Amino acid sequence: MRRSWLPVGLLWLGYTVLLIALTKYVAILPAQWAEEAQVVDEAFILLMYLGSPVMALVLAVMTWGIIGWRSDGADREDGPNQQNNRVLVTTWLVITSALAIGVLINPGFVGLAEIRGEPSSDYVIGIQAAQFFWEITYPNGETALDELVVPAEKRVRYDVSSVDVLHSFWIPAFRVKIDAVPGVPTQVYTTATAEGTSDDDVNLRVQCAELCGAGHAAMAMPVRVVSDAEFNEYIESLGGSE
Amino acid sequence: MKYLIRAIVLGIVGYIVGVWLTLAIRGGSPTDEVAVVFGFILALIGWLAGIGGIEAFGRQWIGKTPEVSTARGWQRYFQFTVDHKVIGIQYGVTLLGVLLIGGFSAMIMRIELASPGMSIVDLEEFNKLVSMHGILMVAVAVAGIIGAFGNYIIPIQIGAADMAFPRLNALSYWLVPPVAIGLLSAPLLGSFSAGWTAYAPLSVGGDSGQILFNMAIITFGLSSILGGLNIIVTVITMRAPGMTWGRLPIFTWAGFATALLAFTVTQFFAAALVLITMDRVAGTDFFGPDVGTGILYEHIFWFYSHPAVYIMVLPGFGVILEIATAFSRKPLFAYKAVVGSLLTIVGLSVVVWAHHMFTSGMADFLQAPFMILTEAISIPTGVIFLSIIGTLWQGKLWFRTPLVIAFGWLFNFLIGGITGIFLADVATDIFLHDTYFVVAHFHYTIVGGSIFALLAAFFYWFPKITGRMYNDKLGIIFAVSVTVLFNTTFLPLFWVGINGMNRRVGDYPQAYESANKFASVSALLLGSTFLLFVGNIAWSAVAGPKAGSNPWNARTLEWQVSSPPSHHNFRSQPVIVGPPYDYGVPYVVFPDAEPAPEPDESGKEVLV
Ligand code: HEM
Ligand SMILES: [Cu+2]
Ligand SMILES: [Cu+2]
Repeated sequence: MRRSWLPVGLLWLGYTVLLIALTKYVAILPAQWAEEAQVVDEAFILLMYLGSPVMALVLAVMTWGIIGWRSDGADREDGPNQQNNRVLVTTWLVITSALAIGVLINPGFVGLAEIRGEPSSDYVIGIQAAQFFWEITYPNGETALDELVVPAEKRVRYDVSSVDVLHSFWIPAFRVKIDAVPGVPTQVYTTATAEGTSDDDVNLRVQCAELCGAGHAAMAMPVRVVSDAEFNEYIESLGGSE
Repeated sequence: MKYLIRAIVLGIVGYIVGVWLTLAIRGGSPTDEVAVVFGFILALIGWLAGIGGIEAFGRQWIGKTPEVSTARGWQRYFQFTVDHKVIGIQYGVTLLGVLLIGGFSAMIMRIELASPGMSIVDLEEFNKLVSMHGILMVAVAVAGIIGAFGNYIIPIQIGAADMAFPRLNALSYWLVPPVAIGLLSAPLLGSFSAGWTAYAPLSVGGDSGQILFNMAIITFGLSSILGGLNIIVTVITMRAPGMTWGRLPIFTWAGFATALLAFTVTQFFAAALVLITMDRVAGTDFFGPDVGTGILYEHIFWFYSHPAVYIMVLPGFGVILEIATAFSRKPLFAYKAVVGSLLTIVGLSVVVWAHHMFTSGMADFLQAPFMILTEAISIPTGVIFLSIIGTLWQGKLWFRTPLVIAFGWLFNFLIGGITGIFLADVATDIFLHDTYFVVAHFHYTIVGGSIFALLAAFFYWFPKITGRMYNDKLGIIFAVSVTVLFNTTFLPLFWVGINGMNRRVGDYPQAYESANKFASVSALLLGSTFLLFVGNIAWSAVAGPKAGSNPWNARTLEWQVSSPPSHHNFRSQPVIVGPPYDYGVPYVVFPDAEPAPEPDESGKEVLV
């Protein structure tokens, strides 16, 4: 029994280090354009770290299974009659429960609280979804269809609704999404952190993220993050253009 | 064959009568959805009567003794046969066919997705493909292992001659072909495009194919419920003397747990679809945009469909655990903890559904409880992994095809499980929900956890069921290439999802092209490896050596009878005197694995 602990342990360590290094040095997450994105990304990375040793353990056993425990089988010999190990099972239960509780607290509850944030906002922007476009209503009552302009460094509340079927309001660069539900208003908050346009990052777009019919894939529009002053100028100009 | 022909004829007659009656009563056109609904119902009744329901049930209703066919040859596969082994094979072959059709539609999707822009289908056709692929595959995953191997193996594993309700069992199976026919003929009415989830209100509008989807899936639900009931009663009442609950083979336990779930939750999907059907044909307005029931459908739907993922994967656990003990020549590690975990999963799985709804706009106070309960499921699931690890630990691992696939399963389901945590966490799910991350995740769990287990079960029990071996080298090549290509197909899709590509889209921004192209090429290669699978079966049919009764030298009861087992499995009632996996116990001698035409050992094991 004893002789497998060492190689499996070493493999476990090796894989864990490898996976953690991969998480640390390979940038798999896209650029962040909002405070909410930071919350989500932190939670994501934390889960990658916590998942690494778990993943590594099973990989280590599989690897050593192939190298160390392989046997011809034709000799029809049995392995040891090891049926249970109460201490091991209990330890396992304790560790996995602790891990589950840990994940629940952080990123679980912490992330939930942070992503929701305070129910206060500098601006309220209305978003009405319909097959297959978004109608934006800015704080001054002006509406627009082709582009969402949001101020940087300001907390914005989006009041999301739908006139026909389910849609989902999603800005990948901000990470957050909320469904647009016919008959039931929903809300989401974001605070953009930097100015930019969808030419800078394909993820600066509003993308429908709930199947809504033939035009679902194309139900997207660019997002432009501008300074607060520019934002106000922009929404005023919408009125003038009529 | 004559029953099958009669079933088809009566099915068509039923359809015509249903449509005709509807038109006679209310007028309209034969493609009206009401007409289709009544056509479908009468067609179903005609089909069941024709296939053998007249003899098996109808005769009883007029006071005569019911008759069931006792045909022996290949014909028995095409009629209402009550032998659980025949039914298992019927399920297996039917669902394998559905798997191939579903796989074919995946290939078309991957070709379309190889580059941005639309090339071979348009956006709406793509939605129809996704929906068709999804529902066909879900059906395979829900019924594959339990329908084919549950039916074939469970009665033998518990030492029974058949299922508790053989006629009901045949009925469960014969409800399945109409499901496949209904779904596959939906394109005649414009098909369905609301995804396999059929969210309302989208599914209340749209082409009339949706009505066939509804009727087919309600029928499929009926089949699942009856099948589940049968397994529950069989395991409770038909166990051989000495087959205590603590000696039940783990695959049987897993099948029992699955059956409990299938029996209790399937009606919710059916109920949701009945509501949609009523909205479409009966003028009700359960889900109209102004009713304010926006997310009601999602609640009902996921109340079934989350447990359904365990209906898909619990039998997979059973198969892999069974293979782990047999091929490491060790007892199942922590048997009792595994059983406890299976039952805990059954319990927890019905209270986590709203983790699919973190972005649905449901009340905020519901988020935390559903996150807690969902993450709690990782604990019993972890015990399953512990048992696999403990069983493999210092075993005598015999790397034949079933174990190689089981290793692939372990790797895939590990990734599926770990990525599941990201979707159970509210913060990350708000980002990842409805992206390709989810697509990759559920392929790792459904394909990785259920279809890989189905393949493993196939290679494990194939010699038992056919009496012949397949080519093990070819089997291993298949197992390795499926595992590798599956991973090269779906790993890049995690990246694609994280980087902002949403799911259920036929077109996408340029930025995701290279990863999608890579996935598409892998997917086509993955699809073509199934030629190896088919080739291996063909090889076995032509040149496969006789397998003998116990080619793996395994301990459970099905390996102690001939391959294939005789009509009622056992010559005399077996009596169980020991635990199911007493590998490594020196004084136990097992019946030899030489080919034995008929079993003659009455007990599982012979003590010297
Ligand atoms: C060669 C193997 C496969 C490939 C390449 C493949 C590919 C795909 C693709 C491209 C989608 C569309 C994803 C989206 O836009 O949401 C999809 C959806 C889906 N697939 Fe597969 N798939 C394969 C096998 C399977 C299998 C074996 C199963 C289950 C047993 C399965 C179950 C599903 C389900 C449930 C959906 C969701 C459908 C929906 O959104 O309504 N797939 N698959
Ligand atoms: Cu949409
Ligand atoms: Cu779920």
